[in-house]
Amino acid sequence: MRVLAIVGILLGCGNDSAPDAPYDYANSPGAARYQAMCEVCHGETGEGGLGPALRDTKASKASLRATIAETMPANNPGQCDGECADELADFIRQGLTTQALRCDAVPPGPRRLRLLARREYRAAVRAVFGDTAPAMTCSRPADCAFRDACDAGTCAPAECDAQTFVFDPQGRTLATVHVAGSFNGWAGTLAAGCLALTYSTATGQWSGTFAIGEGMHQYKLVLDERDWVADPRAPASVPDGFGGRNAAVTLACDATSNAVAELPADSRPAGFPFDTDADSALVTAAHVDAYLATAEQIADDAAARKLSLHPCNWDGQSASCGRAFVERFGRRLFRRPLTTDEAARYGELAVADLATAVQALLVSPNFLYRSELGTKSGDRYRLTGYEIATALAFGFLGSTPDDVLLDAAAAGELDSAAGIERWARRLLADPRAREQVGELVLQWVGGQNVAGIDKRSDLFPTFDDVTRLALANETRKFAAHAVFEGEGTLRELLTASYTVLDATAARFYGVQEGPGGVTPYTDGRRAGLLGHASVLATTAHSDQTSPIRRGLLIRRNLLCEELPPPPPFAGGVPDVDANATTRERFAQHTSNAVCAGCHAYIDKLGFGLESFDAVGRWRDRENGAPIDASGDLNDVEGLGTRTSAPFATLPELASTIADSRAATSCFTRQYLRFARGLRETLAQRCERLSLERTFEAADGDIRELAIQAVLSPSFLERR
Amino acid sequence: MNRRTLLRAGAASLVALPFVRLGERTARAHASGAAKRLIIFYHPDGVPGPSSNGEPSAWHPTGNDTQFTLPPVLAALQPYKDRCVFFRGLSMGATDVGSHPGGAKKLLTGVDGGNGISLDHHLAQTVGASDPFRSLYLGAMANQNGASGDKHVSYIAPGVTASPEDDPVAAFGRVFGNTGTTGGGGGGTTDPRAMRRLSVLDRAKSDLDALRGSLGGRERAKLDTHLEAVREVEQRIQGLGGGGGSSGASCTAPSIDATGITGSTLYAPERFPQILRAQIDVMVQAMACGATRVGVIQASVHTSELIMSRFVSTPMYDPSFDMRSHQASHYGASHDTSHREYSAFVQQAAWWTEQLAYLLGQLAARPEDGGTMLDHSIVLACTEVCDGNTHGHDDMPFIVAGGGSGRIRSGRLLQLGYRRHSDLLLSLAQAMGSSISAFGDASSGGVPGLLV
Repeated sequence: MRVLAIVGILLGCGNDSAPDAPYDYANSPGAARYQAMCEVCHGETGEGGLGPALRDTKASKASLRATIAETMPANNPGQCDGECADELADFIRQGLTTQALRCDAVPPGPRRLRLLARREYRAAVRAVFGDTAPAMTCSRPADCAFRDACDAGTCAPAECDAQTFVFDPQGRTLATVHVAGSFNGWAGTLAAGCLALTYSTATGQWSGTFAIGEGMHQYKLVLDERDWVADPRAPASVPDGFGGRNAAVTLACDATSNAVAELPADSRPAGFPFDTDADSALVTAAHVDAYLATAEQIADDAAARKLSLHPCNWDGQSASCGRAFVERFGRRLFRRPLTTDEAARYGELAVADLATAVQALLVSPNFLYRSELGTKSGDRYRLTGYEIATALAFGFLGSTPDDVLLDAAAAGELDSAAGIERWARRLLADPRAREQVGELVLQWVGGQNVAGIDKRSDLFPTFDDVTRLALANETRKFAAHAVFEGEGTLRELLTASYTVLDATAARFYGVQEGPGGVTPYTDGRRAGLLGHASVLATTAHSDQTSPIRRGLLIRRNLLCEELPPPPPFAGGVPDVDANATTRERFAQHTSNAVCAGCHAYIDKLGFGLESFDAVGRWRDRENGAPIDASGDLNDVEGLGTRTSAPFATLPELASTIADSRAATSCFTRQYLRFARGLRETLAQRCERLSLERTFEAADGDIRELAIQAVLSPSFLERR
Repeated sequence: MNRRTLLRAGAASLVALPFVRLGERTARAHASGAAKRLIIFYHPDGVPGPSSNGEPSAWHPTGNDTQFTLPPVLAALQPYKDRCVFFRGLSMGATDVGSHPGGAKKLLTGVDGGNGISLDHHLAQTVGASDPFRSLYLGAMANQNGASGDKHVSYIAPGVTASPEDDPVAAFGRVFGNTGTTGGGGGGTTDPRAMRRLSVLDRAKSDLDALRGSLGGRERAKLDTHLEAVREVEQRIQGLGGGGGSSGASCTAPSIDATGITGSTLYAPERFPQILRAQIDVMVQAMACGATRVGVIQASVHTSELIMSRFVSTPMYDPSFDMRSHQASHYGASHDTSHREYSAFVQQAAWWTEQLAYLLGQLAARPEDGGTMLDHSIVLACTEVCDGNTHGHDDMPFIVAGGGSGRIRSGRLLQLGYRRHSDLLLSLAQAMGSSISAFGDASSGGVPGLLV
């Protein structure tokens, strides 16, 4: 009997917390339920927060099960009984123990296929077919790349990024007509570098064609270096900020951008700021239709330019040229050499019709998904050199690997940690890494939505489409500058005493942009990212600010502190009141005890940004009353920690955030989400903690975080 | 991109709509006695239901069975009163975190957390599987501001939503081929472009098969979804060469009013009414032409930022004040008509009813098999919470409209006591010819009295 009892105890222990078998968070149904329903109040690891701590609980399974079934979640009980409560009780007792949460080793990540986001698809296609080698020979325009024309046997910039300006003086005699705009720094005189139109006696008109580049531009015509007039022929115009209007023109060069715009919108889960989540990206028939149509355009274009893309005796040996073409470009598109079978099948298509073969490569899952499947090695899988090259290129550049990187993979250069690090550092020095950092930071704070967020045009007339684009670019360029020309730290992103503006953005803010766009903040009003209108406008309503949204952005995106959703019966936004400030109108959130439970963490924080109006401009008064922009970033290291961090200005708030461990930890988490395309679970926690320590040790250097993230075992290994 | 004011299909003839013939073939093949089509019409943020002060619903009809009265907010449905079914006591049960997202996740899946596929997707995989488009998912400002997946109601896999097509011009082009995506040349499978696409898809299928072989679990399921999507498109292109004939419903010269709808106006609130109508027009015409039998029209998203006070020529119009849908839905504790939020919310609910009436009118205006399309269709109008202020999920304000080819006992107010909405989803699936006997996590045989 005694022996049996001991066996029983051992079995019991073995089920609960065998020291040698780590808790399998990845396959625990209770862990998934906990993350979905409980974590927001009880903390990621049961450490507590808005709700009590659950770590190392002594409670019995029966009592936990009963408490869960009868009282949880606290703001809307009765959602989890039976199997749900059972699984949760087991998880709390077995998974939320100090023993189970030890980090002895970083577990491998899941094997996955990652569908290209629209942004990545566009970059990949352009990299493979758009950015062709310079000075290509050609016999006709179709031999050249998207933005090139055939000029005397050589490909040269074509007119797609140029604009022809025409002005009819209607009989008026003028000495000069110039174009001044956002593309030439609004130079108003020839001496300052304006673009001069020439007069034709035959037509009686002034005209000129200038390459002003892709993108959205504003301009005015300058008559006799004195009269600034809007171009009456312009397709669109926007307010110029001086009571008049600027002409507006948008130039887009490549067919790819337009075609790719037709791909279905990227999917992302709630609370995941980025367009990279692998699990929510599924291919529907709408995708297949769009992939077919887009690939058709790209393939037709590529086939028409086959000579310049792939010099070969196409007239004499079209079959072998076609096979060589698909092997070469197939390797770029699949990010690995074609298998023998693939080379034969795609080659066959190419011999019949090259465009069909290229279209097929572009519609193949081997192009559309980035493979992170690896090859089996023991009980794990290890990414192949080509898969590592792909992950590095998309992670650091947001684009597909080029031939040099694929050659390096083929040569085994990515088989060692040293080789991976060497290549990671090399990619970080590539100009496209700047764009990728800009994208990371912009999506992190949701700034891309500045393009579409609704604003009352009567209240905010200068917040036009051109300005919105300039404000999103401000955040991108600032991030790139801070990371690559500045210290490269999270602190600098949050607290920099400068921003990076183009002429349009500078005019919106009412400042003069500095050299290279780098514009210092001199009035102590703004600091870092949170001072950007892309952030402040996106977190405001169409006609008023929203302290709630601004507070939530800081809690969720910057500190990774989640709050439970409002309970039933929650009120809405208080009415706009001409006699009250926003702060006064929202006062009930904190005076009403039910609301205050959460809003004590939101409003006091958001109120501190009340000096910025609904489009992010500075304001001293609201409805005649002076602004009270005092705020408090309470409990900065975690809800329920009962600390206070009052602030009077945005720079003070930014410093408090930058000083917090929560911000460092959160940025690590956000970076991993962006780069890995993964909604993290407790299964990835040990890796995050390890990277967090590295990130801290590197004084918050974002480049080091990115490098270390690809040296982690979970980057290379899969289960 | 130049967009003509009135967008017309290809050569504006049936020859340009070859899948019509396919639709005709499958229409004949579809289970006799089943409804010919289902359109799900979603609008956000609930209705003026029972207030937290205990006032009765301003939205639900009163009465019983065939003797019932519509409240003013449903006045636009008066002409279709005997074509509709209303419910009391239809509950979604508890939902996971957040009453808006929780409700939206459960709305068409019948499962907490959206952890199942939605009704439209189930039908797409079953009764709609041989149609040119197994289903269509159209939106009006439903991807606004980078809406996350929990804002969308169509679940293509447990926990995963699709993103709707928000641009009626693109949707029209996809269905009717003005952008060339469905051929448009009228040459059927001898059309070189169609032939080329088929060989491209053939390669894609082989590559998918090769990739699938080495995978299990979630990644394999991902590729299965992809493969089904490829098969749907392939089948549609193959159908281009079918024989002549016309669909049961009238399908002549499809067109939509695309005035001023461009990429940059898709999210301008003042354009919303026109965009929504254009999407309704695309859906109705796609169905009239036999392109699909399953459709979802998602008007905006839960906790909607849609500024309905910008809708000109409506009672809601107020250029001096921005009233958002979600703002109005939190009208306060009682039905106080002097309160701006409440009166706006009632106007908004009436406006959504008018849009539903427009959809029903479009169906009723098209002859089909001796009656009208409405006689052969089912329309489910729904939203993710009951009362917009109390956020409850009981007594859901759903409407079932249309005769469903004789399957629906319409013109009724069904007093259900307490019945889970999984049963409604089940009944509608059955009315469409699906042979399932359970749907979602709480069905028990269907809604009594709904089906003939």
